[in-house]
Amino acid sequence: MGILLEARGAAFGYRGRAVISDIHLALRSGELIGIAGPNGAGKSTLFRGLLGLIPPLRGSLERHARAIGYVPQNEVLDALYPLSALEVVCMGSFTRLKGLRRVSSADRELARACLVRVELPDVGSKPYASLSGGQRQRVLIARALMIRPDLMLLDEPTSGVDDRAAQIILGLLANLATEEGVGVAIVSHQLDLLRSHCSQVAWVADGTVRVGAPATILAPIGGSL
Amino acid sequence: MSWSLAFELFGLSIAAALIAGWVVPHMGCYLFLRRTSFYGLALPQLAACGVACGFAVMPWWIHHVGLADLDLSTAMEDTHAAMNYHLGWASLFTFGGLGILVVLGRHRGSEVARVAGLFVLASAATVLFAHLSPTGEIFVSELLRGEILSVGRHELETLGVVLGLAYLLLLWLQNDLLLVSYDRESAQVAGKRVLALETLLAILIGATVAAGTMTVGPVVLFGLLVLPPIAARPFARSMNQFLLLSGGMGLLGSSLGLLASFGWDLPLGPCVVLGCGVCTAPGWIVARIWREA
Repeated sequence: MGILLEARGAAFGYRGRAVISDIHLALRSGELIGIAGPNGAGKSTLFRGLLGLIPPLRGSLERHARAIGYVPQNEVLDALYPLSALEVVCMGSFTRLKGLRRVSSADRELARACLVRVELPDVGSKPYASLSGGQRQRVLIARALMIRPDLMLLDEPTSGVDDRAAQIILGLLANLATEEGVGVAIVSHQLDLLRSHCSQVAWVADGTVRVGAPATILAPIGGSL
Repeated sequence: MSWSLAFELFGLSIAAALIAGWVVPHMGCYLFLRRTSFYGLALPQLAACGVACGFAVMPWWIHHVGLADLDLSTAMEDTHAAMNYHLGWASLFTFGGLGILVVLGRHRGSEVARVAGLFVLASAATVLFAHLSPTGEIFVSELLRGEILSVGRHELETLGVVLGLAYLLLLWLQNDLLLVSYDRESAQVAGKRVLALETLLAILIGATVAAGTMTVGPVVLFGLLVLPPIAARPFARSMNQFLLLSGGMGLLGSSLGLLASFGWDLPLGPCVVLGCGVCTAPGWIVARIWREA
C-alpha cells in the first residue's frame, strides 16, 4: 500500500510556538485512521497541519496524494447561502474550472452520482440548509468525492448527527478505504466508532501524538470524550 | 414633465441610476452572504468623505500640484480631470478605511462596532470637509442628499467603465469567490489563492463604491448595496438566482424611484432607495409565510 501522507518528527503550531511536536505518522492507501484526544489537546492543529493549512515548524510532512478531499464540519458552513445540495456538491468541481467556465452537464451528472454513492439520491434540488445534520455531512462527503480523491481528511464528520447517521457515515468511509483504496483520516470524539471502523488511531495529548491500533491506544479510555 | 422631456434632460442620470441599480446589488450580495452588510453603509460614507475632502483641498491642490491646467472654476465643471481627481479621493478614503478595518481586525473586539465607529467618524468628517470647502459645499450637500439629476457625461463614462470592469471580473471569478466566501478552508485545500481572491473582492467592492458614490451619492449606494439582496434572498433557490434576482430588484427599485421622482418632483436618490425598500416587502411576506407553513 502506497504512502499518501507522512509526517516525520513534525511539529505544528502557531506564531513559531509548537502545540504538538515529534509527530511520526503515515497514512497509506486503503487505511482509515482516526484522530482523537481531549479538548484543547491539539487535534485541530494536527488536522490543519495534515491538510497543509499550516506548515510544519520542525521535521517534515510529505504528501504523495494525487487529490485530497477535505470535509469540514457542516456547522461552519453558513445557512444564509442560497445553495441547493447539488450546488454544494458541484463545488467539488471548482478546482478544475477556470475563468468564465460554468459547471458542465458532465460535472452535474458526476455530482448526482456522488449523491447516490452517499445514499442521498433525492436531495439534489433541496436547499442544503434544510437538510438534517447527517444529510449535510454526507453531501459534503459527496462534494469531496467529486475530485476523485485518493486521500480524504474529515473534521468530526459524526459530530451533531444521530447514531444511525454516524454509522452510515463511518460505514461509507470504511467502504471507500477497503473497496476503493482511498486513504481516510477522521477527527472524532466518538471512540466507539473509531474502535469499530479504524485500522489505526492517532491519540493527541500532552503535546504529542501516539499512533497505533485502536485496541492498544484507546484501551485505557472510555467510549466517548 | 413629459417622459420624453425627462429622458432628454436627465437621460444621463437615468442611465447612471439603472447601471448602478444592476451592478451594485451584485456586490451587495457578497457583503450580505459574508454577513458584512454594515460595510455597505460605512464604505459609501467613506467615499463621500473622500469626495468632500477633495473639494476642501481643491484650491490648494490646483495652486500647488495642478489639475490638467484647469483653474478652480473650470475644475468644477464636468471634466475627466476633475472626475479622476474626485475618484482618486473617493478611492483613497474607501481603501484607506478598508485598510484601517483590516489592521484593527487583527485585534479582538466587535467588527460591527469598528465599522460603526468608522461610519460615524466618516459622517462627521464629511460635514466638516463640506463646510471647509469654499467651492464644493453645494455639490457635496447635493451628493449627500442623493440629488443625482446633475450627472454629467464624464461622470457617467467613469461610472460605466469602473462598474462594467468590476462586474465582468465578478462574473469571471464567480465560482472562486463563492467558494472562498462559503468555505475558506476548502478553497485553501483546493489550492485557490484565498488571500488574493478576498483582496480582489474588496477592491471590486471598493472601486464600485468609490465610483458609485462620486456619481450617484452615498444614499443610493447604501440602498443598492443593502436592500436588493435582502429582498431577493427569500425567493432565491440557488446562487445564480440570488445574484440575478438581486440585480433585478436593484433595477426595479431604481425604476420605481425614477417614476416617483419624475412623477412627484422628488429627489431621485432617496426615491431609488425607497423603491428598493418597497421591493423588500414581498420577500418579507414570503419569508414569513414560509416560516409559518
